Amino acid sequence: MKHINKNIKIVKDKNLYQWTKNWKRIQENYWDGNYKIRRLQQIEDFVRLNNYTSVFHVEEVILDLNIPVVDVIEKADLALVTHQGYSRYPLDGIIEQCNRWLEHSDLYLCLNRHYLNIDNKPIDISVNDDYQIAITQWLSAKLDNCVVVDLSRDYVDDGGYFTWACPDRHYFIKKTNQ
Amino acid sequence: MKKLIEHYSDYTATETAKSSYIKYRVGVIRHEFWLKNRKNKIDFHIDPYDWFIVNNLKPGNTCIYASAGYYLDEVIDNLTVIESKPIVKTFYPSVVICKQQKEIGELFPNKFDNFVVSNSRGDHWANGLDSISEYFDSYVKSLNTNGLIFYSLRDTQIPGWNRLTKNHHDYFLDFAKHLEKTYNLNLLWHDIQFAKKIKDGAGNYDMMENPDTTNGNIKFIFQLGTNSHNINTEFLNA
Repeated sequence: MKHINKNIKIVKDKNLYQWTKNWKRIQENYWDGNYKIRRLQQIEDFVRLNNYTSVFHVEEVILDLNIPVVDVIEKADLALVTHQGYSRYPLDGIIEQCNRWLEHSDLYLCLNRHYLNIDNKPIDISVNDDYQIAITQWLSAKLDNCVVVDLSRDYVDDGGYFTWACPDRHYFIKKTNQ
Repeated sequence: MKKLIEHYSDYTATETAKSSYIKYRVGVIRHEFWLKNRKNKIDFHIDPYDWFIVNNLKPGNTCIYASAGYYLDEVIDNLTVIESKPIVKTFYPSVVICKQQKEIGELFPNKFDNFVVSNSRGDHWANGLDSISEYFDSYVKSLNTNGLIFYSLRDTQIPGWNRLTKNHHDYFLDFAKHLEKTYNLNLLWHDIQFAKKIKDGAGNYDMMENPDTTNGNIKFIFQLGTNSHNINTEFLNA
């Protein structure tokens, strides 16, 4: 090791998420703001075309969506979850949380595939080798009182799909006994 | 009305010095240490894992690739810093730019006693572990006899695997064993950790990722051709 005339301070950097809230705006600015991430248009179209009028948006990255929002889930007809922190929940925790949202409204759930099963726990059902199909099978099996519709586009994510601005796997989930 | 974009490659992004720097800055967490240290005449800030690496290097030539290694120039002798982004040359002129990993082995055959890659996004994407395996061909070519490779990554940045069906720990340890066989390497040390999730009093979980997002939660040290080098793990908890 080189000699250094400074005090060495061993410090852990804690700024991982410092750009999170603005990540979508930072990325869009790479194209001078002339383009809109397709997934965001998909969400807006879904809300409009299905006549949802009161959306409770659980947001982390600011997405600048043009949708009618409400501030509490009790007033909502749709919960929209784009907050990637929930993808970092353990798998059972994601299902528990989905059931909480579904007590109040229908659910449009966005999951970041790269975070799922963050704590490396085996699952108790058999799923497809194709990861994208497997996620849908897992959600459908665990939310067995619901209709689960996969609204995602399938592709091999090479890091260029804006997944950390808006998560890539999109699901519409509705309780069947409503 | 704005056009819709699905993938970075759909349209050409604006390339200015400012935009290149911003892209680089937001993608390289440890660049923070360079910013902290460059004008500080009293203190030198170093990441705990980098401290561990610095204290486990073999004597000789060291290369740090695509890991903001320039911030360690103050504490590592005979350091070659290689980066893939030309913007780095504007603030660290002695950097060597290799846009592709394969250039490293061609430019520096049998040169380095230590080769370090810490959580490099440029390594992670493409075809996941298959790509990294390919890059190792170049990294190993740049190694001197019995040289060391310090390699770390984040499981959440690796595409092309099924996180619901694979045991994560085994998946990455098997990969290390594959590298051993393929390149005559010996795995001297490894550290693979995943998040531990426990409910809080309100029934919620923390939303954090795996441990050590700066350096990666999966860490390997290999030695070429032998396993003679001793790794001192005391420095991990310094």
